[in-house]
Amino acid sequence: MAGVAPRLLILEDDDSIRAALRLALQDEGYEVTDCASAEEALELLRSRPPDLMLVDLMLGGMDGYTFIRTVRPASDAPIIVLSARNDTHDIVAALEAGADDYVTKPYEVKEITARMRALRRRGSRLSTSTSAGDRVVLDREQGPLTLDIRAGRVARGDENVHLTVTEFRLLCELASPPGRVLSRAALLETVWDRGFFGDERIVDVHVRRLRTKVEEDPGRPRLIVTVRGLGYRLDVR
Amino acid sequence: MSIAGHPRLTRRLGLRATVTMSFAAGALVLTAVLSIGTYLVARDYLVEQREQAAIGQGFADASYVRDGLLTAGKPVSEVLGEVSPPADTVVFVHRDDEWFSSSLTLGSDAVPADLREQVSRGTAGLAWARSSGIPTVVVGVPVPAAAAEFYEVASTDELERTLDTLATVLTGFAVLTAVAGALLGRWASRRVLAPLDVVAGAAARIAGGDLDIRLPVTEDPELVTIIGSFNAMVDALHERIERDARFTADVSHELRSPLTTLMTSVEVMQRRRGELPERSRQALDLVAGELERFHTVLEDLLELGRLDAGTGAQTRARVDADELVRHALAMSGRTPELLSHEGSRLAVDVDVDKQQLNRALVNLFDNADLHGSGLVAVSVRSGNRTVSIDVDDAGPGVGSAERARIFERFVRGGSRGSRPGAGLGLSLVTETVRGHGGTVICTDSPYGGARFTVRLPLAEAHLPAAIS
Repeated sequence: MAGVAPRLLILEDDDSIRAALRLALQDEGYEVTDCASAEEALELLRSRPPDLMLVDLMLGGMDGYTFIRTVRPASDAPIIVLSARNDTHDIVAALEAGADDYVTKPYEVKEITARMRALRRRGSRLSTSTSAGDRVVLDREQGPLTLDIRAGRVARGDENVHLTVTEFRLLCELASPPGRVLSRAALLETVWDRGFFGDERIVDVHVRRLRTKVEEDPGRPRLIVTVRGLGYRLDVR
Repeated sequence: MSIAGHPRLTRRLGLRATVTMSFAAGALVLTAVLSIGTYLVARDYLVEQREQAAIGQGFADASYVRDGLLTAGKPVSEVLGEVSPPADTVVFVHRDDEWFSSSLTLGSDAVPADLREQVSRGTAGLAWARSSGIPTVVVGVPVPAAAAEFYEVASTDELERTLDTLATVLTGFAVLTAVAGALLGRWASRRVLAPLDVVAGAAARIAGGDLDIRLPVTEDPELVTIIGSFNAMVDALHERIERDARFTADVSHELRSPLTTLMTSVEVMQRRRGELPERSRQALDLVAGELERFHTVLEDLLELGRLDAGTGAQTRARVDADELVRHALAMSGRTPELLSHEGSRLAVDVDVDKQQLNRALVNLFDNADLHGSGLVAVSVRSGNRTVSIDVDDAGPGVGSAERARIFERFVRGGSRGSRPGAGLGLSLVTETVRGHGGTVICTDSPYGGARFTVRLPLAEAHLPAAIS
């Protein structure tokens, strides 16, 4: 990712925090655009879509959750949520709305940049056992459902399945190779670079989101299977 | 003075026993009074009846004897023979200092001296006496016409036996009634105390944290008041706790926002240290250090507040205790060689909130560094249904008098001066561990200093780990 500075959108209504973050992240090499309201941000997204977004949940006017939900259909960019609380509801709700990760106040810039770095990795940390070529058939009965790692897309027949960057990386991780049980801790490590103390809910919500997009019946998953007490497994059909 | 008012007795006996005993005592007293009254009345009546009968018989026989004595030429013994008293009665005639008796066995000493005296002076009389162990009633009638005295001695053995039987029956009755009273008392106390038990049970559950309990509304006028007050109290308590939790949440947000700006800005400045003159750099370091300290204290305080209010949201996951400790050491920049595992090498799983436990362990490590001259060893021991994590230092140790105190809030070892931290670390450990159903204690370490042992329950073997 050398050369072009990644474009970062900061959506935070506290002026001081916004100013401080802008300074700090510009130092880290990002091209920062900051907005104080979701409406302003949506305007901006139309003209200059960012590569990454930092979104505060507590906003005046339209709140963070609604913003994320509105933005998601149009953008795959990683969204990191800035949250004041560690409460279950807030975090899970944000993740389900479409966020990729979260940091809680007061944030250390180091942590924010680490999260952003992890989410922007494309394919470098994927398992090397892609021996079956770069096109994997996941489900013969759905189209078929294919995963093209190098091209970075998932298709059902000819139709593109719209996944966020993180959802895609999660699917790749599970599919390289399929049939292995991967623990939440392991997935947190490879996809989110989160380590032992990472919040396992991040994985759970992302699997749920993935299922709604690739499963025939998300309520009864047959592709991405939960292995009780151990983790998740991708079963090719 | 009732038993209920007697402090020492009630303290030893308790309310239930007191009520039971009061009922028993009351029943006993009542029946005793009744029985004794009945006995006395019956006895007086029967005795009087007997006396009347004796007197009647006595006078009748005396009259017969007088006629016989006045008959010229009849010897006294013949007269006595003709009287033919009933089997249990003996008649005597005293004339001219001679005693004549109708019985071969009973002598004149059967007649009490007082009665003899009285009759000899011319007045008839009755006396109760005892002859050879047999109770008797003696009637004496003067017979002045024959210059003689007539005495009739009748056995009242049957009367006495009747009275004895009556006494026995009444006593037995009294005892039975007392026992019945006791049983009644037991039943009554149980009925009366049952609502108390319900209240006590509800109070216990509330103290344990379940604030949704309310007592069922009742129509019993005696209980309406206490149940109403109890429920109102729990409502108030619940509301207070929720208010406190909301306050904590609001405060946390308010404090964290400026802190975020401060910390971020300091990071920006740190990047540009090179551009700053020496004194500014020193000032910046001071600011950075104090901010960090402020951050730690704030987080500890807020975490404690959350744990107190019971709103500390826990996301439990199953982890191997060994791994947890190893990561805690690594994350806090300590060498994993400090860790040793005793006992079986099987994985010991615990269901914990990883971040909370991590914080607790790091607090113990920091404490060992700060007050114990450095962390020396950490070991994990699996026990019967529990796992123990020992954190050892080789410092001065903690005196037994201090061991309870150090876990309190804002208690700091040593002088205030250079020690960072506000004394919340160990109380956080206590609250966190307790919230997981475990314990933490301080003892002597085999390395010479203090040993802090965290004991946690093992994960249930048959339950699956984190459910998706």
